[in-house]
Amino acid sequence: MILILIIIALVAIVGWIVYSAGPKFALTRFGGAIVVLVLVTFGVSAMLSFTSGEESTRQALEELGVSRNAQPCVTALGTGASVENVNACVEDRGLDRNVFAQYYVWAKQLVWEQDLGLAFYKNGELLSDTMEQRLPRTAWLFLYSQLTALVLAVPLGIWSAYQAGRSGRRFPSWALPVGIALLLLLGFFSGFRLTSLFALVIAFAALYSIFKGGKMADNNTNFLAFALLSIPVFVLGETLRYALAIERDIYQLTGYEPWSNGAANHIKSIWLPAIVLGLAATPVYLRLLRADMIQNLQQDFVSVAKAKGLSNTHILLRHVLRPSTVTLITVLGLNIAQLVNGAIVVEFIYDLDGMGSYLIQAFARREFFAVQTIVALVAALFILTNTVIDVLYTAVDPRVKADAE
Amino acid sequence: MTNVAQEIAIESQHAAEAQAASPADKGGGKKRNAVFGLAVGWLVFVVVLVGLGWIFGDSLPLLRDPKEIQTDAVFAGPSWQYPFGNASFGEDIFSQVVAGGRISLRIAAIVTFLGIVIGGGMGLIAGYYRGVIDSLVRLVINVTLSVPALLLVIFIVTIRSQSEKWVIIALTLLAIPALARIVRASTLQVADREFVKAAEVVGVKRSKILLREVLPNVMPTLISFAFLTTGIIIVVESTLSFLGLSVESPAITWGSIISEGRNKFADTPHMVAFPSLVIFLTVLSLNFVGDQLLKRFDIREASL
Repeated sequence: MILILIIIALVAIVGWIVYSAGPKFALTRFGGAIVVLVLVTFGVSAMLSFTSGEESTRQALEELGVSRNAQPCVTALGTGASVENVNACVEDRGLDRNVFAQYYVWAKQLVWEQDLGLAFYKNGELLSDTMEQRLPRTAWLFLYSQLTALVLAVPLGIWSAYQAGRSGRRFPSWALPVGIALLLLLGFFSGFRLTSLFALVIAFAALYSIFKGGKMADNNTNFLAFALLSIPVFVLGETLRYALAIERDIYQLTGYEPWSNGAANHIKSIWLPAIVLGLAATPVYLRLLRADMIQNLQQDFVSVAKAKGLSNTHILLRHVLRPSTVTLITVLGLNIAQLVNGAIVVEFIYDLDGMGSYLIQAFARREFFAVQTIVALVAALFILTNTVIDVLYTAVDPRVKADAE
Repeated sequence: MTNVAQEIAIESQHAAEAQAASPADKGGGKKRNAVFGLAVGWLVFVVVLVGLGWIFGDSLPLLRDPKEIQTDAVFAGPSWQYPFGNASFGEDIFSQVVAGGRISLRIAAIVTFLGIVIGGGMGLIAGYYRGVIDSLVRLVINVTLSVPALLLVIFIVTIRSQSEKWVIIALTLLAIPALARIVRASTLQVADREFVKAAEVVGVKRSKILLREVLPNVMPTLISFAFLTTGIIIVVESTLSFLGLSVESPAITWGSIISEGRNKFADTPHMVAFPSLVIFLTVLSLNFVGDQLLKRFDIREASL
């Protein structure tokens, strides 16, 4: 049912693109995407067939009466598996045949029979069941984190780009380091916790920048974004978990609550992981939007708009933000890969049982057949989204197509 | 956490656009030099410290055997004797960080070197010769970069083995296409310039043009991205060892100290804080140096 809906949506998008950008262009882009997708899944499948192990293991397996190439099945089923089970598994996955046949077996099962296979080979849990249970958590996490990132990055980016071309308020610039030093001294002697002190310093710097404005504010914002970009997600996640869930009791590590348990509970159970993932994505958007907008602010149409007497807000939001949005959407598409990476880490840190933590479990248990399917699905999602965005971009902005040709 | 290529691409585009946006940026020059010096200083400091710890072992002051158990200092916070505090069996965390830097920095250096040589070579050849090679390289780049970086690295490391060799191979497989893409874009621009055209018209051999004319002009980009890549590889590697999927357990890396510390977070917050701080400062310095070099070399990048 869902598959049919997805296919209908896809056909509609493809139809519109063919209509607006020409069939030849659409064909090359989509053809290329399909080639890449096939190669990715084949590569993953081929890599898996290299797990067959060393010659000594192969011989040992042969002596036990199973196939020489049964290593992936043996790891999946565990050492207590019977010979028949292993043989059935080998037969099922086509491990005795060559790489291409294995890929064919896997692809046929996935595409033709729409069977995702087993999540855990040992207890026969279906991957589709696992995904039904866990995918919503990851999906909500993605959605909220992107919302957080955009809510933070777009206003800050606009503001920062706007301030870059202005002179700030007349306010001594030594006030910032002196203020921070005073704050540190004060906090240290009145026994503040280190994490609160840190938050205070950041808040002070932000307030100062907002008040001062101008080039310095832009530099400060940019530097903060740069620093945030250099923090690994797991450091950010651990720090906030310590500050908000261990040291204080602001976030409860009680696990995920679905929407059906009430909106408040749902948000309460997921807000911190979403913010961590969102904060990791913020600097990427912020820096890009800022650079893009600074460039757009120097265009002639901005001067024309100013000459017409339009207000600054109007120029910024309607004339400058709009062309920059297209770039932002492209990066949103590219960021899917980073989100998946981040989700693996964040779900691990906050014990959120989503797809990311399933992947970690599956890796720990060496469930490579399921991992193979998930890697393929993620790659498909990534390629599809980016191709669609890419082509849409072209449909919206004809200059890109002209450049490509 | 990072899709290497994407982040690099964004970073490079940002750098180029910021450059384009503010060609005359005079006021902050001196301050930026100071920060640049600080960043370089920190990098030199970390490398020297880790190197000294590697060569002289625990005979240096403050350094001791990172696995040595000190019963009188269990869970102890930072002190003059143990600057970064102690772990759950009283192990000295400062020594652990110095020892962990060996693997973390070694992996980052080797991966960056291999990535620059192989990926840079691929990008150079693809960008200059074009044709079939170019299509092939582009296909390889697109295929590799469509799987999230961390997922791919974990996949490779777990299906083979959690040894340093395979971590390096997996990370290199990631760095190659990312760098190839950037070098290719840069090569395309250089190959379009007059002096290359002139050399072609005069009849210089193409391989000679590639080495004498194109390569030196691509070099600045390559050097800047060497710094950015090293930072990203450190992040990916420490994430991997944080998840317990990098080099296996007796070996110490920066990520593994943090992952050990987080188990008893309430008792040993310093065990997470200090290695995190070291990773953060190192990556920040690498990013800053790479970013500044990119701006100083005045290179317009358009690779997104």
